[in-house]
Amino acid sequence: MFESIIVLAGLGLLSALGLGIASRAFHVDTDQRIQTIAGLLPGANCGACGFPGCNGLANAIVSGNGKIEACSAVSDENRKEIARLMGMEAAETVKRVAVIHCNFPAGGVGNKFEYLGVTDCRAANLVAGGPKQCVYACIGLGTCKSVCPFDAVTMGDSGLPVIDPEKCVACGKCVEACPKKIIDLVPVSRMVQVLCSSRDKGARVKKVCSVGCINCMLCERVCPFEAIHVIDNIARIDYEKCRVCGLCLRECPTGTIANLRGWEVVAEIGESCNGCTLCARACPVDTISGTAKERHIVDPERCIGCGICVDQCKRDAVTLVKKTAAVRKAAAAGE
Amino acid sequence: MASDTIKTYRFRGGVHPPEEKLTKSIPVRTMPMPDKVFIPLSQHLGAPAKPIVSPGDRVTVGTKIADAGGFVSAPVHSSISGVVKGIVDYPHPAGRNLPAVEIEGDGTDQRDGAVKPRSNPMDLDPGQIKEIIREAGLVGMGGATFPTHVKLSPPEGKPIDTLIINGAECEPYLTADHRLMLDAPDHIVTGAELMGKILGVRRIIIAVEKNKMDAVAALKKAVLGGDTAVVALAVKYPQGAEKQLIKALLDRSVPSGGLPMDVKVVVQNVGTANAVYEAVAENRPLVSRYCSVTGPGIKNPANLVLRIGTPVSKVIEYCGGLTQDVRKVILGGPMMGIAVWDFSVPVMKGTSGILALTEEYLDENREGPCLRCGNCVRVCPMGLTPLMFARHTQLGAFDRAEEFNVMDCIECGCCAYECPAHIPLVHLAKYAKAEIQARRRKAQG
Amino acid sequence: MRELILLIISAVLVNNFVLARFLGICPFLGVSKKTETAVGMGMAVIFVMTLSSLFTWLAYTYLLAPFHIEYLQTIVFILIIAAFVQLVEMFIQKASPALYQALGIYLPLITTNCAVLGVAVINIQTTHNFWESVLFGFGAAVGFALALVLFAGIRERLELSDIPRPLQGTAIALITAGILALAFMGFTGLVKM
Repeated sequence: MFESIIVLAGLGLLSALGLGIASRAFHVDTDQRIQTIAGLLPGANCGACGFPGCNGLANAIVSGNGKIEACSAVSDENRKEIARLMGMEAAETVKRVAVIHCNFPAGGVGNKFEYLGVTDCRAANLVAGGPKQCVYACIGLGTCKSVCPFDAVTMGDSGLPVIDPEKCVACGKCVEACPKKIIDLVPVSRMVQVLCSSRDKGARVKKVCSVGCINCMLCERVCPFEAIHVIDNIARIDYEKCRVCGLCLRECPTGTIANLRGWEVVAEIGESCNGCTLCARACPVDTISGTAKERHIVDPERCIGCGICVDQCKRDAVTLVKKTAAVRKAAAAGE
Repeated sequence: MASDTIKTYRFRGGVHPPEEKLTKSIPVRTMPMPDKVFIPLSQHLGAPAKPIVSPGDRVTVGTKIADAGGFVSAPVHSSISGVVKGIVDYPHPAGRNLPAVEIEGDGTDQRDGAVKPRSNPMDLDPGQIKEIIREAGLVGMGGATFPTHVKLSPPEGKPIDTLIINGAECEPYLTADHRLMLDAPDHIVTGAELMGKILGVRRIIIAVEKNKMDAVAALKKAVLGGDTAVVALAVKYPQGAEKQLIKALLDRSVPSGGLPMDVKVVVQNVGTANAVYEAVAENRPLVSRYCSVTGPGIKNPANLVLRIGTPVSKVIEYCGGLTQDVRKVILGGPMMGIAVWDFSVPVMKGTSGILALTEEYLDENREGPCLRCGNCVRVCPMGLTPLMFARHTQLGAFDRAEEFNVMDCIECGCCAYECPAHIPLVHLAKYAKAEIQARRRKAQG
Repeated sequence: MRELILLIISAVLVNNFVLARFLGICPFLGVSKKTETAVGMGMAVIFVMTLSSLFTWLAYTYLLAPFHIEYLQTIVFILIIAAFVQLVEMFIQKASPALYQALGIYLPLITTNCAVLGVAVINIQTTHNFWESVLFGFGAAVGFALALVLFAGIRERLELSDIPRPLQGTAIALITAGILALAFMGFTGLVKM
């Protein structure tokens, strides 16, 4: 009994001594935070931050060479946690998602030849710019799907890839891989999108596609915020200026513009309204009614949430609220 | 004769596809002047030419309509007489609409007044000959369409000791070069000597595959002496590929990533040699070319002299049209040619053949899994392992594909021809090369 | 002398720890995805196994046996092995951070690698003397490293293959390991002791 205690304790002490000396000899300066931060990062090693993998970014953040914001895939909580670890303020980042600016199945874009080659858009693009009649159209062989490290892209039945906005973290892999360069990263709150990338003239677009942008300029004319402009034969939206009112998509004769945002906002007029009628006069869709000098009402069913009334109101009585089931119910009850 | 003393060698790999030279013994006809031509501004490797005519201008055959857009570029000339309708976006064999000069013919086929034959071509000095070649818009007529004057200007420190004139025409079906060698052997020999003069080389080898012994005989007759030799080579595809030709004739290996000039050689096609003669001696720019219109899907296969810019549909019409079961029309040969995506694409300087293939001649089998049989490795004339770079390319590992030397691939098609699993190896190689080049450009900023 | 050489050959090829005795399968499957990590792991195991078989033999012969406390065998052996693993871990972290990253959890797990403990126990059971113990440990470790590197090479090639979906991943790895073990059966009879 006694011997066993002595032997075990002795061996333990001996090893401890040896390891103690060894740990001095092989001492490595490691910042514990690197491991922790690497654990908080998504671990997909997508490389979108510009550093080699998530560990690379963790290293860079700790050494001060990298910013937390470089990672677009990290969740909000984890970002805050990393910021706390580093003792800095986490900058608010705008969540963005990838959007494919083409809607070729709906446009009936046919093939100019039968493609029998390698199943990859980049390879197909080498063969006469891909088999689609429109050279700007999505080729639909799923290169974006195969490069997506987050499984956010699926191939729709119609042949057009579909991006799941929940899974998409805007890493930009698909943007880089797409040979047609028709994918870009868009703030989720600015999801009125032109689903066409054709820089062909209107007549040519019309020949091959029924939902392509034909540069009619109607959207440019109707936009109250000068947020949409036709440049190089394609309507482009300035996300800084766009307020997602959707007026352009009502006007678009080909249905090229779509609102992909998951929610709607409506204006609400509060108690402090004095019935000056400024809002009612400014409303582009005439949804505000009421007699002068009395509180006005917005018809939430018709309101497009453009926010012009908010700008007009001098008493800050108008606010934009997310259109939820409750608001709709209230509207139905005629409140 | 000098030719008998030249020893030939074997290059490794290669395949023996059926020759199918349907139009071998059909004499060349000249297709009547088309009423409209679309002459692309980009008919060569390098920068597109810059148009120098405007709508409404009258042009005659040989009028320069576009100037070279850079050093590696070539001018373009009108192939018919008529009126310029405009510079339009027109279907181009590369697969997109690209700028082309549309000329409506007036039916007179009037030649440019300035075009007068030179009586003493060999007395010109090398610089003058090169300038004439450049002005005539000459490009490699074998299909690669590299501007000829650039190829004839090796940089300082790259001495050239041999000029090879390539008459191998190893692609199945094509007979345009063969007919040209029978029709104008003396022109080819003189053209070769003119190029030899520019390069300052004495040794000129005209190489022809053994299945064209009549052409060998004709060329031998035309050779007047000097160090010019005509050599008959074994029939094996790709005998006519530059690097393989150099190996077969001189037993020299072009280094990886190198050019023939690295082993003191310049290779030019027989068509180019003929065009050089026409440009220098007859003062005629490159406005037409020999072309085989052939294949099982063409009603009346023929060898034609075609104006540059003639729409392919017109040529096919002239040859009696296509049969019902045509599945693919190819510009060039079956091994390396490019499938036509729109019949209105025009004939260009590098169009050596128009080939219509029917279903039974095409391999449209679905790609299967690689069997690791090694056939592609055995036949690769560059000594590569196509299965490896193809697989890495399929998996998106382009850096690994590069390690397997995919950049040295000459896209000859031997591997894909042999592959029992129908893997599109050449397409994968082209894809990998394009991706790797894009990455290199990006890395350079 | 001849005996000792035969002992090594037997430990490396005939009675390969992974492919004949089926010990240490966990790191064998875990770190065999890339040849570089397999080589690193192999080196670490060679170091740990050789030294631990040396020290376990010493501990058994001069501590446990004289005091008749052989029942402490397992715990003492583990203690010694763990100490060496810690040493290797510190060294690798210092010498090659990349390898340290790549080996990850499998590096400290050498402690519980049954192949390492197996060598120590077999040494005692077969009453090897000191040099036999050391060389047997070394041979067994080389055998482990050999199997690991061979297998990693095969798995790198497997990455390029079209594997049916149900067999992808560990399934095909185990099948391959089985075939590799079959191949190693060919060494049976190579050594007659």
